[in-house]
Amino acid sequence: MALLEVRNLEVRFPQRSGELVALRDVSFSVDRGMRMGIVGESGAGKSVAAFSILNLVSRPGYIAHGQILFDGEDIVQMSPAQLQRIRGNRITMIFQDPMMTLNPVLTIGTQMIECLQAHGKVNDREARRIAVEKLRQVKIPSPEARIDQYPHELSGGMRQRVVIAIALLTDPDLIIADEPTTALDVTIQAEIMALLLELCKQEGVALILITHDLGVVSQVTEDTIVMYAGRIIEEAPTRELIDHPRHPYTEGLINALPERARQGQRLNQIAGSMPSLHVIPDGCAFHPRCEHTHERCRHEIPGFTGTTHRRVACHWRADQEGQEA
Amino acid sequence: MFAFLVRRLIQAMVVMFVISLISFSIQDNLGDPLREMVGVSVSEAERELLRDELGLNDPFLEQYGRFLSRAIRGDLGDSYFFKRPALEVIMEKFSATMELVLGATLIIVTLSAPIGVYCAINPRSWLSKTLMGLSIVGISVPVFLTAIMLIYVFAIHLGWLPSYGRGDTVMVGFWETGMLTRDGLEHLILPSIALSSIMLPLFIRLIRAEMMECLEQEYIRFAYAKGLDQRRIWFLHALKNTLLPVITVGGVQIGTMIAYTILTETVFQWPGMGFLFLEAVNRTDTPLIIAYMIVVGLIFVITNTVVDLVYGLVNPTVKLAGRGA
Amino acid sequence: MKRMWRGFFDSDLVYHFKRDKVAMVSFSILLTLVLISFSAPLTAPFDPYDPLQIDIMDSDIPPTWSDNGDERFLVGTDAQGRDMLSAMMYGTRISIVIGLFAVALQLVIGITLGLLAGYVGGRVDAFLMRVADIQLSFSTLMVAIVVLAIFQASLGADLYSEYAIFMLIMVIGIAEWPQYARTVRASVLAEKEKEYVDAVRVIGFGPLRIMFRHILPNTLSPILVISTVQVANAIMNEAALSFLGLGMPVNRPSLGSLINSGFEYMLSGSWWITFFPAMVLILLILVINLLGDWLRDVLNPKLYKG
Repeated sequence: MALLEVRNLEVRFPQRSGELVALRDVSFSVDRGMRMGIVGESGAGKSVAAFSILNLVSRPGYIAHGQILFDGEDIVQMSPAQLQRIRGNRITMIFQDPMMTLNPVLTIGTQMIECLQAHGKVNDREARRIAVEKLRQVKIPSPEARIDQYPHELSGGMRQRVVIAIALLTDPDLIIADEPTTALDVTIQAEIMALLLELCKQEGVALILITHDLGVVSQVTEDTIVMYAGRIIEEAPTRELIDHPRHPYTEGLINALPERARQGQRLNQIAGSMPSLHVIPDGCAFHPRCEHTHERCRHEIPGFTGTTHRRVACHWRADQEGQEA
Repeated sequence: MFAFLVRRLIQAMVVMFVISLISFSIQDNLGDPLREMVGVSVSEAERELLRDELGLNDPFLEQYGRFLSRAIRGDLGDSYFFKRPALEVIMEKFSATMELVLGATLIIVTLSAPIGVYCAINPRSWLSKTLMGLSIVGISVPVFLTAIMLIYVFAIHLGWLPSYGRGDTVMVGFWETGMLTRDGLEHLILPSIALSSIMLPLFIRLIRAEMMECLEQEYIRFAYAKGLDQRRIWFLHALKNTLLPVITVGGVQIGTMIAYTILTETVFQWPGMGFLFLEAVNRTDTPLIIAYMIVVGLIFVITNTVVDLVYGLVNPTVKLAGRGA
Repeated sequence: MKRMWRGFFDSDLVYHFKRDKVAMVSFSILLTLVLISFSAPLTAPFDPYDPLQIDIMDSDIPPTWSDNGDERFLVGTDAQGRDMLSAMMYGTRISIVIGLFAVALQLVIGITLGLLAGYVGGRVDAFLMRVADIQLSFSTLMVAIVVLAIFQASLGADLYSEYAIFMLIMVIGIAEWPQYARTVRASVLAEKEKEYVDAVRVIGFGPLRIMFRHILPNTLSPILVISTVQVANAIMNEAALSFLGLGMPVNRPSLGSLINSGFEYMLSGSWWITFFPAMVLILLILVINLLGDWLRDVLNPKLYKG
């Protein structure tokens, strides 16, 4: 049984002018110890997907439909007490900007120890010892001193290490990392990602990595999902996705990478931009920008062809491969 | 810490200096000390002689110098009306005003936090809406009107509480207190409520607004993601951040509170410094007016410094020299 | 100009206004109060300042609906025989006028200094902000009481009452400029970083022009929100000062002075002399505060929290 199975997830945001559908019919699964990436442009719904796993979608958004099965139990149906037992314990999260994530008026130690004490009977001394140990694991120098400092006394990179340490405190089954390096200096980004990779491998923790950066995804994940306008449009093992993308959008993304551009030529761009959630086109949401569009694409939402971790939702591709989409 | 105190001390002295300068220059132009002392039937020549003797014809700076040296020793001249040292007269009434302020502060502190926090956590409940509605009415009613209405309802109409004065008092050392007798306490109730009537709703609104903003922050979402107990999130993570700006505002409001004591004391004929000041104004009792200004100036300066200090201690992101890395 | 009005009426502001009942009711009440009080010279039943119209035999008459009421005086008369309704109409006008002018003064001083501090920066900024900080820690009411007390004592009661209205406007106006200065300065600092300022500077516009024509319009929404609260506060402060006898005199009373003159009679039974001015004062301040709250919620929820 998969560790996490999301089925037909739909998330909506009530607005003045009606309801906005941020996630439509999103289904995917993550096995134990698996490292999965979710990529897409801003507004594609990746972060919303990440937060909905723990039912933390920011108000007034809500989960309208679907199931989120963690070890067989549906998170969507859980009571607050049950949710509390999973959050920060068996599923932990890493947010984007560590300066905003850590409470500025509490010490690092307080913010770590409270996590341990919320999920198990650990006395102060023991909790502190574990916390120092974890800080050491994320390679923070002089952890015994740092633990009594406040977030603003640490550098950006170190703060994110602390957040990673917090994510590992309770030996979770799954870590969800939402753009963990976007707010950091470029030079630090690689370090932090390497650290995250190493620790996940070491502890056998499953990872869902949300990012818009294909480079990061290729470094860390085994499997990648591509999202567009609130839907999943392709999933494949990471290497394969990058080398042989099947969806025209994915192809466009890969081609747009600076590495793929020819010397002296303009960067390859996908014409147009992703539609805002207010005005999603009928049929396949990508059809206005796709060079392989035909009549079916304009009216019919493509279904998936392929297997659980190797699928694509595209009429054209289905035709190419002699399948029904 | 030390550097901070020194800096504030210097600032305090500058402010006091300015106040004393202003006070002194007023003295020259307000009322004629000679008239108070010798009456009208003295000839002009004798007046001039007296002026010279008293040093009233000396250059401004010399006179100011004398004023300052006397002031530092606590001699602010004699009240024209009471024919006693002005400072002595003021200090007699000091305890009355302070107890009034204490009563009001007690009300504000015990009520504003719980109500503000409740309204922030449950903004849509009918109780919250009622309380917020009452708050806005509260800040729209001037202090003296509240005082008048309280007197009319509780003292005249219902006859539950006394309508003026301080009641029975007891001397504890040098401090005259009304809080040790039942009668004194009864007299304290209405004035304290009146004095707190504008500031209480202000703080409720402030705490509610700050807390609501706080609850939107990423670190609160992160606290939920860690699976922490709801109460801990509200009362530690959120509240501590909420109280910081409240302390700052509170400091500024102390000045306003002292101004409002003048109003309250006038309506209730409460024998405090404010009432004394107003009478002194009506009688053009200059030394008393100046003594009041200096005493109140001192109170301002001391309380502002203390508030700054408290803020610096409570807020870890503020560096009082010698603290933190 | 016409485009501006069109833009205003089509804007979000008016949209939200029409949907918020509290805002609409408050605004109509405010408008009514302003219209009634400003039309006092034309519509008031009596002129309370004209000694010929006052008869001491008419004093202390309760409102029309009570036992000894007189139909000429809707809400009764005061101890001198003046009609309370007329006195209140004129009084409200004075209160509003003082409030508006005082805030106008604060605005002008505050915005100018705020723009200066924000745009020029450096020592000028540091100095101005220091002064502002210190001035903010002294409550307006306290400063006003002291200053006006001194003026009254040195000028004498009669001379003072002639100039009372100007004094009130000056004192309240000068005491509160830091509020505006700080807000404007914060906006300026934020806007200064934006690209359009660089663009305009490259074109060669002088600093004054940049400040007033380009940056200022973008700082308008915080200014608008603050202004409503400031007007309410100014009216409240003026009422307090008049109540203490340091403001408008009894023969040209504002609402505060009316309440003051009625206070001593409250205990002896003539409750209406204090009650009705008090109600009008509370209503006036309340609707301004309600509008201010609404404005703040619509324009920028993060702005003014007290």
